[in-house]
Amino acid sequence: MYGWVGTIVNVDLSTGQVTTEPTEPYVDQYLGGRGLGVRLIYDAWETGSDPLGPGNPLIFNTGPLSGTALAGSGRVDVTAVSPMSNLRAKSNFGAYWGPELKFAGFDHLVIRGRADKPVYLYITDGHVEIRDAGDIWGKDTFETQKMIQSELGDPEIKVVCIGPAGEKQVKYACLITETGDAAGRTGMGAVMGSKNLKAVAVRGSGGIRVAKPREFLDLSIRINNEIREHPAYQELSQWGVARGVHMMYQMGFFPVGYFEDVCWEDILEKYAGPKYVEDHQLKNTGCFCCPNRCMNFLSVPGIGKGVTSCEPFSGFTGAVWNLDMDTFWEATLMVNKLGIDCTETSATLGLLMELYHHGIITEKETDGIPMERGSKEAILGIIRKIGEREGVGDLLAQGQMAFAESIGPEAVEKVDLVKGLAPHAYEFRSFKGTGLMQAVGHRGDPLPLRGSLLEVDWHHANDWFQQVAGEQFGEPEAAIPTSYKGKARSAVISEHMERVADNLGVCKWLYGLFIYNDVNMITDVFNTVTGKDWDIVRMMAASERIRNLERMFDVRQGLRRKDDSLPKKFFEEPLQKGPYAGEILDRDKFEAMKDEYYEIRGWDKETGVPTKEKLTELGLEDVTA
Amino acid sequence: MALKTVIVDAEKCSGCRSCETYCSLKHEWVCNPSRGRIHVVKWEQEGIFVPINCMRCETPACEMVCPKGATYRNHLTGAMEVDANRCIGCLSCVFACPFGATFVDGETGRVMKCDLCDGDPTCVKVCPTGALTCEEISRETYHKLVKNAERMPSLVKQAMGEE
Repeated sequence: MYGWVGTIVNVDLSTGQVTTEPTEPYVDQYLGGRGLGVRLIYDAWETGSDPLGPGNPLIFNTGPLSGTALAGSGRVDVTAVSPMSNLRAKSNFGAYWGPELKFAGFDHLVIRGRADKPVYLYITDGHVEIRDAGDIWGKDTFETQKMIQSELGDPEIKVVCIGPAGEKQVKYACLITETGDAAGRTGMGAVMGSKNLKAVAVRGSGGIRVAKPREFLDLSIRINNEIREHPAYQELSQWGVARGVHMMYQMGFFPVGYFEDVCWEDILEKYAGPKYVEDHQLKNTGCFCCPNRCMNFLSVPGIGKGVTSCEPFSGFTGAVWNLDMDTFWEATLMVNKLGIDCTETSATLGLLMELYHHGIITEKETDGIPMERGSKEAILGIIRKIGEREGVGDLLAQGQMAFAESIGPEAVEKVDLVKGLAPHAYEFRSFKGTGLMQAVGHRGDPLPLRGSLLEVDWHHANDWFQQVAGEQFGEPEAAIPTSYKGKARSAVISEHMERVADNLGVCKWLYGLFIYNDVNMITDVFNTVTGKDWDIVRMMAASERIRNLERMFDVRQGLRRKDDSLPKKFFEEPLQKGPYAGEILDRDKFEAMKDEYYEIRGWDKETGVPTKEKLTELGLEDVTA
Repeated sequence: MALKTVIVDAEKCSGCRSCETYCSLKHEWVCNPSRGRIHVVKWEQEGIFVPINCMRCETPACEMVCPKGATYRNHLTGAMEVDANRCIGCLSCVFACPFGATFVDGETGRVMKCDLCDGDPTCVKVCPTGALTCEEISRETYHKLVKNAERMPSLVKQAMGEE
């Protein structure tokens, strides 16, 4: 095969058995990456299994473009069933591990069962070895990677691993590779920990064959050069998102605290992210073959070195009322070393601060730590306790709701979750399309969905982006944040676009920002690499098939229309301040957007379940709830 | 025409491995960084990345140790190249290179040396950070000389205790 390396490897940790199967039979329907992973988990999961039991397969999915000489080709999708929601989990990480898995000969890695003692996998050139991890168990994610490289005598081995949080099955533990590339969301670290699996180390010397190498070389050099000429590149490759974050606060897109309000005056005046980057940045780094290097590599004396990008810049500042950048950096390194999801952790801190602020809890409920807004002691103390499951951290490790329930109904009222997870910290009251995408989305993924970015972009040039929305989504108002018009179609198309990148194993940020300026670029690349002859219609149709299969997985797990919602705060408490003061989500109009969404999707409006006709049309006749 | 060469500035390198991967595509028609004629050594927890490429030495060890005279300088580009018809695969050049910049193709056992893509290096075209540039040798040494000289006045002042 070209593009794909052709083999899916299955490892059963209970029996030690390793088997392989060909990738090819899946690709015309499910492509690769996220899409093929959905099919694998749909077939492998037995209803009623425990997400933290041996029956939950942990699946790593690269795509046909992963590891090729192409900007943004470093991505890997990870799936399992999430211990947080009991729905299909989806997470994705970058850096260098995914390409290395392909160089070692595998497109997908399926890990089942549970080892009877701590182990790690070493995968090299078609071979899988299960190795003892007794000495490494308990180490943080940075030490783990170094120890494995040292034990195997090869510093170029790529490792994805869990930290102490994953070992202790903190429900939102994540996977980490290098110093901060994480499969952050949906608790993949807990699933890995439940298997007694500390890490997966890979090293390969094989290559990825390309159907039309000469054409591909020209095309991929052109893409590399086009990206580097783009204005967004100038910003991201120098600053990452450090400066963009301030803009997000200004426009009221990022909420402050636990969705309490927007535009905290202090953060607008004193946000010191860019200054901090200026003072401590060694350089910007990125993923495999990516010119864009959107991560800041910081070195702060007395705290440490590592990378960060989007989430921590707001998660450990505005979301927890913090202006001290040293605290931000210490928190960021701490979650990365312990291996806990930054987004869920900062939301958990936000909840505790809100409960404390309203007098619902005192320091007695948090092991004597007063949960003052912005307190360094509170932020760092609680993160450590969660990672180690010490004291109140043991309860918090089970999720925000578990903690709230231990306090009582007043605390439960305050919890903001969507499908068991902290929603992305965006202000849904004013950004209606983003709210819809969060509510109906699989897991809830409003960014970097194109339609959501459009609501942000709109602020820079209203008329221009309304015109873009008209062209791309058939309704100029799809770009206007507060409008309910055209949002359903924008959501559907954006979801399909997002899956194109995820299925092919490329970065959806990069492709959402740069490459989709030319609608045929992605199929040109795909066809040149794989030798296939697909057009964009077929590419988007595959995305639709995959979207429906994801939905059917969750329907099988019990998900229905009522779960496609947002916390009631957004419908009941209008914004008090900022450019969108007074905005609130209108319940009826919100439900009408959902109706429109289900209608376009061909899903039953009452239940939110894909219709038999839709599934048949997509070649998913065999899929039932 | 003045001779050009690939200049490495490791401080700028982000470790993305584009140079290795595009190199393998250009020369071997496959995406496989381990078959590139340039290699990035990485300390990812330190943020230090060092691209290693042929230095095109004035007195090349690779050329001197070759028992068959297979390694030669391409005087049009300045690159040290290997004549595959003469090469017997003894790897003497690989072990003699003081920089580790002569590579072996793990698949074929062949020696791989940077040929500067006939004077228009692919790695330079895709290097996003300016860690790899293709410069005229005389101009580059002149820049180095000036850069070095610029440090002198302050060093002299320091030595005299004025700063």
